[in-house]
Amino acid sequence: MLQVQDVTVRAGSATLVDSASFTAESGTLTAILGPNGAGKSTLLRAVAGIERPASGTVSYDDADLLAMPRRGRARLLALVEQESATELPLTVRSVVGLGRTPHESFLGGRDPDADAAIDAALQTAGVAGFADRIVTELSGGERQRVMLARALAQRPRLLVLDEPTNHLDVAAQLDVLDLLVSLAREGTTVLAALHDLTLAAAHADAVVVLSRGRVVASGATAATLTPELVRDVFGVEAQWLDNPLTGRPLLAVRRLSG
Amino acid sequence: MFRRIVVIPATLALLAGCAATPPPADSPTADAVTVQNCGTTVEFATPPQRVITIKSTSTEMLLALGLGDRIVGTAFQDGPVPEEWADAAADLPNISDFMPSEEAVLDLEPDLVYSGWESAFAADAAGTRDELATLGVASYVQPAACRSAQVPGKLDFDEIFHEIDEAATIFGVDGSPLVAEQQAQLDAITPDDRGLTALWYSSGTDTPYVGAGLGAPELTLETAGLTNIAGDIDMTWTSLGWESIVDADPDVIVLIDADWNTAQSKIDLLESNPATARLKAVQNDAYLILPFASSEAGVRTVAAAASLVDQLKVLDLP
Amino acid sequence: MKPVLVGIALAVALLASIAAAVTIGAADLAVGDVIGAIGAHLGIGTNPLDTLRDGIVWELRLPRVLTAAAVGAGLAISGAVMQAITRNQLADPYLLGLSSGASLGAVSVLLLGVAVLLPVAAFAGALAALAVTLGLAGAIGRITPTRTVLAGVAVSSLAGAITSFVIFWTATGDSYREILSWLLGSLAGARWPAVAIAGIALIVVGIPIVLSGRVLDAFAFGDTTAASLGVPVQGARWILLTGTALLTGAMVSVSGAIGFVGLVLPHAVRLIVGPGHRALLPLSALVGAVFLVWADTLARTVFDPRELPVGIVTALIGAPVFALLLARRRSEA
Repeated sequence: MLQVQDVTVRAGSATLVDSASFTAESGTLTAILGPNGAGKSTLLRAVAGIERPASGTVSYDDADLLAMPRRGRARLLALVEQESATELPLTVRSVVGLGRTPHESFLGGRDPDADAAIDAALQTAGVAGFADRIVTELSGGERQRVMLARALAQRPRLLVLDEPTNHLDVAAQLDVLDLLVSLAREGTTVLAALHDLTLAAAHADAVVVLSRGRVVASGATAATLTPELVRDVFGVEAQWLDNPLTGRPLLAVRRLSG
Repeated sequence: MFRRIVVIPATLALLAGCAATPPPADSPTADAVTVQNCGTTVEFATPPQRVITIKSTSTEMLLALGLGDRIVGTAFQDGPVPEEWADAAADLPNISDFMPSEEAVLDLEPDLVYSGWESAFAADAAGTRDELATLGVASYVQPAACRSAQVPGKLDFDEIFHEIDEAATIFGVDGSPLVAEQQAQLDAITPDDRGLTALWYSSGTDTPYVGAGLGAPELTLETAGLTNIAGDIDMTWTSLGWESIVDADPDVIVLIDADWNTAQSKIDLLESNPATARLKAVQNDAYLILPFASSEAGVRTVAAAASLVDQLKVLDLP
Repeated sequence: MKPVLVGIALAVALLASIAAAVTIGAADLAVGDVIGAIGAHLGIGTNPLDTLRDGIVWELRLPRVLTAAAVGAGLAISGAVMQAITRNQLADPYLLGLSSGASLGAVSVLLLGVAVLLPVAAFAGALAALAVTLGLAGAIGRITPTRTVLAGVAVSSLAGAITSFVIFWTATGDSYREILSWLLGSLAGARWPAVAIAGIALIVVGIPIVLSGRVLDAFAFGDTTAASLGVPVQGARWILLTGTALLTGAMVSVSGAIGFVGLVLPHAVRLIVGPGHRALLPLSALVGAVFLVWADTLARTVFDPRELPVGIVTALIGAPVFALLLARRRSEA
């Protein structure tokens, strides 16, 4: 279980995240939601140990993530950034192989589990078909999935993603979210910042709603995303109904009238 | 293969219509003089009276011709003048230790800038020749130092004496006594007859800069009876790899001594370098030393050759 | 192509190149005699050459060839690392003001007439320039690759300007030649002390850098990804930068600022074995060594008995090759 307690992140005199607290159970997909600038990325980066919070704790199964040595944390937690690009003509396989870095000793060669982890990651992320292609030649969506595969190659127990559906078309978005849900069902704790309310509502087990750096609500998805909350935070009208295609709950939205 | 610089003998050329001023009463020859100097035609209506000399070769040319009183300023000198002219040179104003600026030159109101290096006549030095001419200042490059107008041929003493003659004509004096004196000095030199080889080492540490086959170093060495190990290179000076020098193993090494690059520093380098320390010239201390000012073509070249011969006599060579 | 095979081929090529280069030179020495002379120094057999010719082989050619190999390797490694750290494929080892600082140190010492201090002065100059560059980059805020590169440009310009002024103010006709030779890069002065400096730098600094290839790979997607992979981003960057500066500073101090080796050769190696740094660093070192050995051999023999500064040869070869590489990239993009 991931426990975030009173995490505050400052940059200069500005407070980007103010005393954020929430928990995420193992085996769940928790969506971090909020309008642009609410602090979703910052909060994720703090959880991942990339940004140092001014105060607060982040622990996973009672282990202090922030105090952990880097490599140890990287074996436990994998981060998929919003934007990551390279000029280097690396093959998909070698990019995914980067995910084994925290498992390799400094001077030693590849770790013994490398091949297995890389192959499994390629399969799971659905990129095994172009493992030998050059990343710079792939489409945005394909690249995103390669980065996801890289994160999976780390064999993390906690997977943190910042806007993983950003450059993807509709089908791919659904694919990624389905993949995150199935990873969660396998036991990984998945934390994803999402900007699409409906998509998040349809897939996430729990949500954490941020507004202006503060956590305004967190908990099970349907219970937390009440129409009142959605109106207050996002400035849109919302209503829960059933998706005729899937039979599962769907959050419909509409601009505020009047 | 040598070529002569084309010079219209001054005594045959008379400027038509441009001589506005009557010749000064004290000049021996009142004819106006025109010379072709390094690609530029230079006209002297009257012999120059206010000369700025750049580099020692120019200063010493004038001193040798007894014209020290016409020098209003010197620049970029290479070392002290020989004893015989020391008094005459004592009060010469020194404009700059390096190339002078055009302003500093013009400030002295010269009528001639006489330079031993062609590079003095650039906008960022004494001024271009054209510009100086429009300001009424003549410019003269020592012919042996001229690179731009023609490829230098092999220097010989005819050339040097020719330059003395031309300078004398420009200044309206008689150069023949000086030429005769130099010729006599030259004739009196008995070249060393041991068939020795020599390196003319001017400067450079990683890659030495040495006298090659066409210029004053070659002439000086030949006159002294020495064979230049770089004599087959068609340049006046050249940079030469240490390997070639070690391979040639010269019998003697002529070291050029300058304040900024002393003979001693070159000796130290030769001795400290494990490859050159084995040269027979280094092992035998077979060094001949010449001051920098006498290493470029000019009135000291004959004396330089004579000096080498004298130093060779004293050298204890196995 | 399998990197290990390429590596072995290159190592063999390097040994062969060193052996061949030592037999080539302005002095006409028989190959067998050269080998015999070297053998005698190593304790095998008697020396067939007289002391003078032996001096040519053992005191002039051999140290020069060995220095060329070490410097070529060091510059290639530095270039590859700089390209990785600054995430800029056009980076070279001199980017952070290193060569301008070294030049300033070297030129000052040449003009003061204490040429014997040149390696020390060049090295000190390189490190001083690096310190100023990093200080400048950090003064504006967090040090980022872009800021560092820009600060390096500023420091290079400043050091270059001061160097030009110093040359202008104090140089006599003779010293221009020496200075030019140093600025272009030359191995003409490489004796055994140079071998020691370059060799020790390569072993003490170069080898650890080469072994950190994996860390450099992690930088491929930027700082955040590298950090999330467990790499101590700031610390690793500092250590690698300092290491590169030390390595480059040492090389520049013995040979001046030889260009194009660090810029072009890593690209060429990438084309053969791909961008993974585990292979790229050691192979670039080998290619750099072979390349510079031959470039210097050309420099000292093509206009025999005159010598060119090797920097001219590397520029003449490197510039067109670089243009070709750029053209390739544009057509791929």
